[in-house]
Amino acid sequence: MSLSKKLQMYKKQLHEQNRLSHPKKVQAENPHSSLESEQISEISQAAKDLGATIKRFEDQMVLVHSERLSLDTKIGPYALRDLEPLLECWQSGYTQHPLSGYGLHADDLLFFDTETTGLGSGAGQMIFLIGLARWSSEGLMLNQYFLPGPGHEAAFYNAFLNDCHSLKNLVTFNGKAFDWPRVKTRHQFVRDQVPKLPSFGHFDLLHASRRLWKNRLDRVGLQTVESAILSMGRKQDVPGKMAPFLYFQFLKHPDAQLVKGIIEHNREDVLSLISLYIHLSNKILGRIDSDSEESYEIARWDKQIGNTEHAKEIWKSLANGDSSFGLQAKRQLAILYKREGAYRTSLDLFESIIHDHGNEDRSLYIEAAKLLEHQFKNYDQAIVYTKQALRLLDSIKTEDEQERIFEIKSSYLKRLNRLDQKRLGKYS
Amino acid sequence: MIGRQTIDDLLNNLRSDPNIVHWHTIPKREAHYAPFPDSLDLHVREALVHRGVTSLYTHQAEAYQAVMEGKDVVLVTPTASGKTLCYNLPVLQTIINQPESRALYFFPTKALAQDQKNEMVELIDEIGLPIKSHTYDGDTSGSIRQKIRQAGQIVMTNPDMLHASILPHHTKWVSLFENLQFVVIDELHTYRGVFGSHVANVIRRLKRICSYYGSHPQFICTSATIANPQEHAEALTGRAMYLIDRNGAPSVRKHFLIYNPPVTNKQLNVREDESYAVTRLATDFLKNKIQTIVFAKSRLKVELLVSHLQKLNSGRQDRAKICAYRGGYLPLERRRIERGLRSGEIIGVVSTNALELGVDIGQLQVCILTGYPGNMASVWQQAGRAGRRQEDAVIIMVTSSNPLDQYMAGHAEYFFSRQPEAIRINPDNIMILMDHIKCSAYELPFKKGEHFGGQEVDELCEYLTGEDVLHFQREKWYWMSDGFPANTISLRSAAQDSFAIVDVTDRGHAKVIGEMDRFGAMTMLYEDAIYIHQGTQYHVDELDLEERKAYVRKVNVNYYTDSDLAVQLDVLAMDQHANFDHEQIEKGYGDVSVRALPTVFKKIRFETYENIGWGKIHLPEMEMHTNAAWISFSPDYLNVFGKDVFQGALVGLSHLLRHAAPLYVMCDQSDLSVVPKIKAPHNEKPTVFMYDKYPGGIGLSEKLYQVMPSLLNKAIEMLENCGCEAGCPSCIGFVNEGRSAKLALLRLLKDR
Repeated sequence: MSLSKKLQMYKKQLHEQNRLSHPKKVQAENPHSSLESEQISEISQAAKDLGATIKRFEDQMVLVHSERLSLDTKIGPYALRDLEPLLECWQSGYTQHPLSGYGLHADDLLFFDTETTGLGSGAGQMIFLIGLARWSSEGLMLNQYFLPGPGHEAAFYNAFLNDCHSLKNLVTFNGKAFDWPRVKTRHQFVRDQVPKLPSFGHFDLLHASRRLWKNRLDRVGLQTVESAILSMGRKQDVPGKMAPFLYFQFLKHPDAQLVKGIIEHNREDVLSLISLYIHLSNKILGRIDSDSEESYEIARWDKQIGNTEHAKEIWKSLANGDSSFGLQAKRQLAILYKREGAYRTSLDLFESIIHDHGNEDRSLYIEAAKLLEHQFKNYDQAIVYTKQALRLLDSIKTEDEQERIFEIKSSYLKRLNRLDQKRLGKYS
Repeated sequence: MIGRQTIDDLLNNLRSDPNIVHWHTIPKREAHYAPFPDSLDLHVREALVHRGVTSLYTHQAEAYQAVMEGKDVVLVTPTASGKTLCYNLPVLQTIINQPESRALYFFPTKALAQDQKNEMVELIDEIGLPIKSHTYDGDTSGSIRQKIRQAGQIVMTNPDMLHASILPHHTKWVSLFENLQFVVIDELHTYRGVFGSHVANVIRRLKRICSYYGSHPQFICTSATIANPQEHAEALTGRAMYLIDRNGAPSVRKHFLIYNPPVTNKQLNVREDESYAVTRLATDFLKNKIQTIVFAKSRLKVELLVSHLQKLNSGRQDRAKICAYRGGYLPLERRRIERGLRSGEIIGVVSTNALELGVDIGQLQVCILTGYPGNMASVWQQAGRAGRRQEDAVIIMVTSSNPLDQYMAGHAEYFFSRQPEAIRINPDNIMILMDHIKCSAYELPFKKGEHFGGQEVDELCEYLTGEDVLHFQREKWYWMSDGFPANTISLRSAAQDSFAIVDVTDRGHAKVIGEMDRFGAMTMLYEDAIYIHQGTQYHVDELDLEERKAYVRKVNVNYYTDSDLAVQLDVLAMDQHANFDHEQIEKGYGDVSVRALPTVFKKIRFETYENIGWGKIHLPEMEMHTNAAWISFSPDYLNVFGKDVFQGALVGLSHLLRHAAPLYVMCDQSDLSVVPKIKAPHNEKPTVFMYDKYPGGIGLSEKLYQVMPSLLNKAIEMLENCGCEAGCPSCIGFVNEGRSAKLALLRLLKDR
């Protein structure tokens, strides 16, 4: 039997199968698309309506929307002009930080965001909109590239790549895991026709935002950060998850109205990146005040990238304050001092947390006991602390993690026995 | 303590055992050697010599030659004949010549890939050249994945991984696909039915991606003995294959015994359960420290046999170590057992067909098969586990009381001369094909007029465009959906809309214990059914059709449930038909619609099979389109035999055909349905339908149509072979008017 006869016979079951694999799919209003020949003129009309120019490449095309914003334009709490002095500030020797603009000028940065046909990471998801902004002393150039259909990717990537080759560093929100790998994937399909992908530096502001604000935000998304941290609001935003569906509709019936909202959404995303980068840098560089949690996290980040001196400085001032992060800062300092061999200072800090705050954290007692045993041979006090840790452990009532608790307990008991032995050895 | 008996002593005892219905001796076979090929690298030769291999078997040399000449090759190799060298040598040699070339191996399971990688790494270490060989599957850690994608020269994986991970992300595997020289497909015979039809399409996708990146890999396939290795390999890969089936490996003398357990109930013609006989026989060998492997068909049987066998240790100081081996064990556990078997520390193992595959456990001395495994390929794969070194090997097949087993017990000469079955796949099954058109379009857009698996697929793409899955532009169809198609398509489960089986015994900790296709769920997971999962009984509390979930609870009852289906069969299109036996019988093949409505279920006691109750099933009708073969008889017979008797005869014939079908096509019970109709709607004749239990069909009924007169003859032989009077499980089953029905059926088929 021919394939087409089979197709007819099994249509119902096939449709059922499709429905099952896309259960939540919104049904399109217009099931049939317009003819390809008509679409060319529809796309030209859409370009006009969007204020975009059509750029041709070989026999393909891409819609490019460009604008120049004055440096006095305010994006949330900052003006675009603020970017240049900020970058100068980064030049003052603070080199190791992942967001460090050391060696870069404001016009080396590329603020970058995309819209895609789906969140998956496979070869079949496309990018249909790229927004990028670059700074210059004459103003901010904002370009948006819109893919008028899947058959025009070479034109799309060619235009984008030609405009960004002189830039050095990407600034994105989750671009390391999402946007840039997608660019790489789709670039594979047109790599013979378009320029190579440049190798950029990359500031991913999602990671930075997570570090500073993950406890106070339910979800660290660009828009939550905008409203909760930068006090910005958006008017009539198209939710990102609607973007694929609207784009599929556009492909069938090119009409500017369908995608206008997505393009505006992308524009705002790109602009927010500038403001967010300034804000995060200001916090890290201490150009503006941070609350105690932010300070604590900035110090923790510093410590992880090996900038312990800076971390110490921040923690010291936190330790003198009375916020709940003062305690944690003391603890971090105690660990740092121990590592540096400043055992007395370290022990003092541990004991001060224990005594001043009646702390419930048993590991503090063990840390103190370790120092007393190995550095100060003060076995009696070490025993006191170990016993206190044991008492705290015994007060745990939960049924969970019985095994782990048992293991911890046996390690404590082992310590206690060893201390007993040592004490006896000392007195005999 | 009585001294140990040797294998010869035990064989002598068996010679006088009345239950041994046949004793077949397979003579020893000498090895046929060939020198190392001239082009084989010196490092490789030295490594082989170092491992004790000083020359090749002839089939290994032939494979090397054929592959190096650029042929696509299929090798048929029995167990333990050194098949890995057949593909490893040409692959390694090619990589030594051109280090940029790549090979992709795929195995049906992760465990096999792991085994093969270890073997490969050992060989590479001895060769002493920096060749990178890795497994890539769900267990591969994220940190080395990228390295493997970019630089792995030999990548070992499985078809599921290829389908859902490698192909949809081909842009991350550019260096593999640009340089892919070899695709090695091991255990070809496992790719059959629905699974095989899916895998054939995964290979079509693979080939499409290779040609996009400009490579044209050679295929090297290996298979157990089946009737149609070349045809099957060609169907699976779409390439013309060069067949190598002259095996040069030696083998010891083998005694193959068929043991038919005694009849315990003469009236019902019921025989002793085969597990008892197996336990008895295996115990004799194990007590005497003779390493033995027992094969059983289900996981439940495996566990039961192990517990029976372990009883031999009671009261003995010198304990024999006996293990179970089956799917569902953790890899570490399986490795431990495999090691124990190789070292001889484990003396007995009871296994499902999991050990049919090329897992390395060395060779054992005795192999016992609990029942005919259902196909000849399995018989020889399992039997191949016996035969170590210089000693004689013993294989005992203990037959059960089902018709096929009894037929084999009664026709041993047929059994031993029998050709293995053919494997069928149907890659063009429209449902399966459509799934992979989606996946393939996701990977690369389809050009207008492009072929997939040899046929133009424009119409299918147009259909998918109408379904809002693809978008047509500039002569190409592009994936245009936010979904990831490979995620919703499983190669192994029968249909996409599968039901989750949720154990709610502990309300607080409900957990999913398995899944089942819709058809299966409606016939096995109806409310109040007793569902048996891995030997544990569950009561079905609720079947939620909307959410596709069955909620079950552990119980312990002494019955099982069996549902009755009201099946409506309509022929949608008849593709082929013919009359035979002097125009007396009509056979047909085509597309049918099967509408099934579960009506009632029976509760059946385990020990006695008596009916102890029933209940109604409240479920909607199910409809499926598939392929069917059928045979129809003249309606005149209704008058000749009377309606009731004739109906009984038709039901009896269905029972026989269901059991005879596996002689011609390799399939599981669950792959095929046989349904009698006293008056088929399309021709108004008494008809028996045999249909593929998968939407669109997987080629089983098509093959049965082709072999029809011969299939019917086998059914008659089975019927005549049985000594019962009124029907028994070994022939027509228990039907109404059994005695008359059996006679009627005999007359119907003999008088043709």
